[in-house]
Amino acid sequence: MVTASSGREGKGPRTPKIAPILSHTVLIAISIVALYPIYYMVITAFKNRKEYLSSQFLPPLHPTLQNLREALSRGDLLQWMFNSVVVTAVSVLVATAAAVLAAYALARMQFPGRDTILSGIVSLMVVPPVVLLVPLFLLMVQVRLINTLPSVIIVYVGLTIPLSVYLLTNFFRALPYEIEEAARMDGCSSLGVLWRIVLPLSAPALLTSIVVNALWVWNELLIALVFLQSNERRTLVAGLTLFQGQYQVNESLVMTGALIATIPMLLLYLFGARFFIRGLVAGAGK
Amino acid sequence: MSDEKRISSFQKRLLNHSLSRRDFLRLTGMGVGAATLPGFLAACGGSQQQQQGNAPATKSVKGKLTFWYWAESDAPGANQWMDETVKAYTKEHSDLEINVVPQSTDTLISSFQAAASAGQGPDIASQWATGPVLAQVWQDAVAPLSDYVPQDEIDQWLNTSENEYNGKLWAMPYYIIGIATAYNKGHFDKAGLDPENPPQTWDDFLATCEELKKSGVTPFSIGNQDGYGGAWHFSNMELQNLDSLQEWVNAIIGQASFTDERYTGWYERLNDLVQKGYYNESVNSLSLDRGHAIFSRGESAMSFGTDGIVRQWQNDLGQDAVGIMKYPKFGEGNLVDSFNATQSISHFITSWSKNKEEAAAFLEFMHTPERMKRWFELTGVGIADKRFDASLIKNSVLRQLYEWETTGPQVWLENYNPPQIDSEANLKAGQLIFSRSGTPQEAAQLWQSVAQRWRTQNPDDLQNWRAWHPEISGA
Amino acid sequence: MTRAHTSQKATVAQGRGGERPKRSRLRNAPWTPYLYLLPAAVFIVLVFVYPLIEIVRTSLQAPAATGGTTFGFTNYKFMLTDPAFRQAVLHNMILLLSVPIMTALALLFSLLLWEQVRGWKWYRAFIFTPYILAIPVVGITFIYLYSADGIVNTALKASGLGFLTQDWLGNPKSVLPSIMSVIIYRELGFGTVLFLARMMSIPTDMLDAAKTEGANWFQVHRYVTIPQLRSVIEFFVIVEVITMFSWVFAYVYTMTKGGPGFSSIILEFYIWQNAFEFQSPGIASAVAVVLMVAVSGLIFLHLRVRRAQSGDGE
Repeated sequence: MVTASSGREGKGPRTPKIAPILSHTVLIAISIVALYPIYYMVITAFKNRKEYLSSQFLPPLHPTLQNLREALSRGDLLQWMFNSVVVTAVSVLVATAAAVLAAYALARMQFPGRDTILSGIVSLMVVPPVVLLVPLFLLMVQVRLINTLPSVIIVYVGLTIPLSVYLLTNFFRALPYEIEEAARMDGCSSLGVLWRIVLPLSAPALLTSIVVNALWVWNELLIALVFLQSNERRTLVAGLTLFQGQYQVNESLVMTGALIATIPMLLLYLFGARFFIRGLVAGAGK
Repeated sequence: MSDEKRISSFQKRLLNHSLSRRDFLRLTGMGVGAATLPGFLAACGGSQQQQQGNAPATKSVKGKLTFWYWAESDAPGANQWMDETVKAYTKEHSDLEINVVPQSTDTLISSFQAAASAGQGPDIASQWATGPVLAQVWQDAVAPLSDYVPQDEIDQWLNTSENEYNGKLWAMPYYIIGIATAYNKGHFDKAGLDPENPPQTWDDFLATCEELKKSGVTPFSIGNQDGYGGAWHFSNMELQNLDSLQEWVNAIIGQASFTDERYTGWYERLNDLVQKGYYNESVNSLSLDRGHAIFSRGESAMSFGTDGIVRQWQNDLGQDAVGIMKYPKFGEGNLVDSFNATQSISHFITSWSKNKEEAAAFLEFMHTPERMKRWFELTGVGIADKRFDASLIKNSVLRQLYEWETTGPQVWLENYNPPQIDSEANLKAGQLIFSRSGTPQEAAQLWQSVAQRWRTQNPDDLQNWRAWHPEISGA
Repeated sequence: MTRAHTSQKATVAQGRGGERPKRSRLRNAPWTPYLYLLPAAVFIVLVFVYPLIEIVRTSLQAPAATGGTTFGFTNYKFMLTDPAFRQAVLHNMILLLSVPIMTALALLFSLLLWEQVRGWKWYRAFIFTPYILAIPVVGITFIYLYSADGIVNTALKASGLGFLTQDWLGNPKSVLPSIMSVIIYRELGFGTVLFLARMMSIPTDMLDAAKTEGANWFQVHRYVTIPQLRSVIEFFVIVEVITMFSWVFAYVYTMTKGGPGFSSIILEFYIWQNAFEFQSPGIASAVAVVLMVAVSGLIFLHLRVRRAQSGDGE
């Protein structure tokens, strides 16, 4: 059948439409609700206590940088952010590498138990992390890795491999085999084919895998909270919950902390929203 | 038990895969908590202002203390005082680095429990006196303070009995506070009540609340999202039904039932107050700390506050606008006339710390005259030290409060709960009542089932409490 | 045009699974595939297999009155008699109600976006924004928005609906719906974008046909668009159902810590609390086993249903 996609050329699909004015109104309303919390964070972060008490919803008349200064010097926000970056980068890197290898074998090689192994790995996606928590904690204590970044990295790698394998295996299987076949006939080894041919072709799936996993690891709270005890080791999200508890009577300060914690992701998003969105959906929904 | 013996029997159990719950906690007993990691990851951890060009921030570096500190909620101004104290101390001891991490009320116990389970954490920690401190002592997470601080120094401290066990002192008191019931004289006036004659009996109190409510103000405000609002009521109300502290502990160790009216009958009264609408609407979504602001803004007529908080209220509303009273009496137990002063928080050295002597020296420094004076200046809260000059308290209201705190028997009942029972029963039961999601009977039943479970799940703790029971001095 | 397209074509041409000529088998040693699987396998055994076995073992251990441990079902018995556990199960069930709401709303939003009014890409970016915010950030902000003097109540009062004001997170009756609303708030972005992407690749001839037959907006979408999205909707629903059981700890921890009383406790929180606050790893493990069984059961059921329906294409 005809496979040309609809709606790419800018005018939308050829279906009956709602009056644009109605569309716009609803979409604007939704957008306001979606963005309101960010707005609230920003205006509160720049208010001093008096202004906050007098009006919660309006922007500050006399914006102040005091909260920003306090949050940066009091909490260990920057330290936590650094930890999160390290943990996320390393976890995603290692998990993706392991998943690429595994997925390639599962997609392209024949061996006994292949299908069982694949279903096994994919089914692990449904395991709630909390179920694994106690034994993993005890394990890390026993090997003296508790309260170190590697402990959470190892766990995150394990937790994100199933999804990555799922995405990548599906994707690899759908690639036309001719190119790989040609390369092999030219004497290229499996690894070589993987590295030079398949991977470059797999940008969308890799992107999805990386984006989804990075977002998940960055935001993960339970494991980070339990495994990383000392202040210097905490990740951003875990640290933020503590920051909120410590300074709860100073709402402006808490919102400032939340704002600072959000800036990295927000900046990334501002510059590459399309990147995020496309990455998220490119490989999903098969 | 020597370290060696402890390790080998533990290892045996580990090899036999029969790790018990006790062992789960005993994993701290290994003592050595340093990460065995390649240095670069540890080094990745240090980049803040605390670094003074020293080696990377791992605990095995000599000359660094981490102090998980809590006091600000009781005594606003404490964090600032601590910052100054650290600066003053490290000026004299420039090879030492002290990192203070303020703790939050609702995770104070659980954070430390988690650290103790991992066998790693701060060098100095804060936990509330008696029950919570002893719980950690019995888990081998605490180094006996009296081994590191000379006796003549300890003799100067007040209320040390709150943390004594087995002939040793385990934690250091710093300040002494009581919980007063503060009231807004202006609101009393407006409601036609005499601001110089606050209610003393329960019936008077009910009548007062009713008048206040009629006059359009919230009679009593408190925050209970974290359960501590209810806990403060517990300490003030249940106390009145007891003849002695040992009587309370009877129920803890199972010699009496919590469903007995003596132990939980007071929930009926609390429920009565809640149902009559005498509390602020936001009681369930504001934590104890945030709830204080309601009285500050003049939106309520009465509230609970420590010395430091009362002082803050005076700053907010005006010195003559705030009065204090003792919580109205309804009980018939011998302890009904006790006041509720306590050191509240106690500071101790952890068993895994590599810098115990340095830690002890710093703790002693906190009790030096200049530091004590500065504490009082910043917080308005008295110090648990004989050398503290009470004449510094010029404020008449705070002076009255200090007198109550240092005259006659003092009991903060919450100290005599194992921390688990406190969080699972005390805090939760209060939430059931304040949020109207449970009846007083359900609250009582909760205490009983939580206590039963604690006894079954913690047989060794139970043994400790049973052994300690006869030692507990009555108020 | 896009990768996804070419690959779809290839799939159609080749059949799934990428059958390959025998030649490649000669090139690989028989152990090669396992070598490729090794890194992943190491992590999986460590992070999944070992713990899953351990929790069963730990769940059967309880402290004996004389010190040491006993083996038996004590922990399970306790769990079943603990009202907090029952509440947790109930609450997780209630959370499932947010899945249809989320799905319906996401469909609605994506349909609106699909019309591609001017600047639709901006709207899409705005709607997706909550999804990239960290859960604690969202949770903390909503604590203030839902507070007794927060914007929600203020807005209600201002629009004459003052009688609806609540202490949203403090009233046991409204706390769970309030938490659900925050979850929905965040997950909607994901759903919307997902559905929209799929909509963009619906073959136009189907839509043309519908239009020729004079169908209106509702009819077209109901009978043509949405059925085309079936597999994506299914995917989304499964992901969200799993989420409601496995990945909502952060919301509860940040906003209510299970309170007031037990009104917002959920299974993840119950397990965490038992393991780390109450120092009862045995009970935590027992509940973990139960949770694992429940989630597996759900998935198993789903696969059964799917298999029964297979042959319907897609």
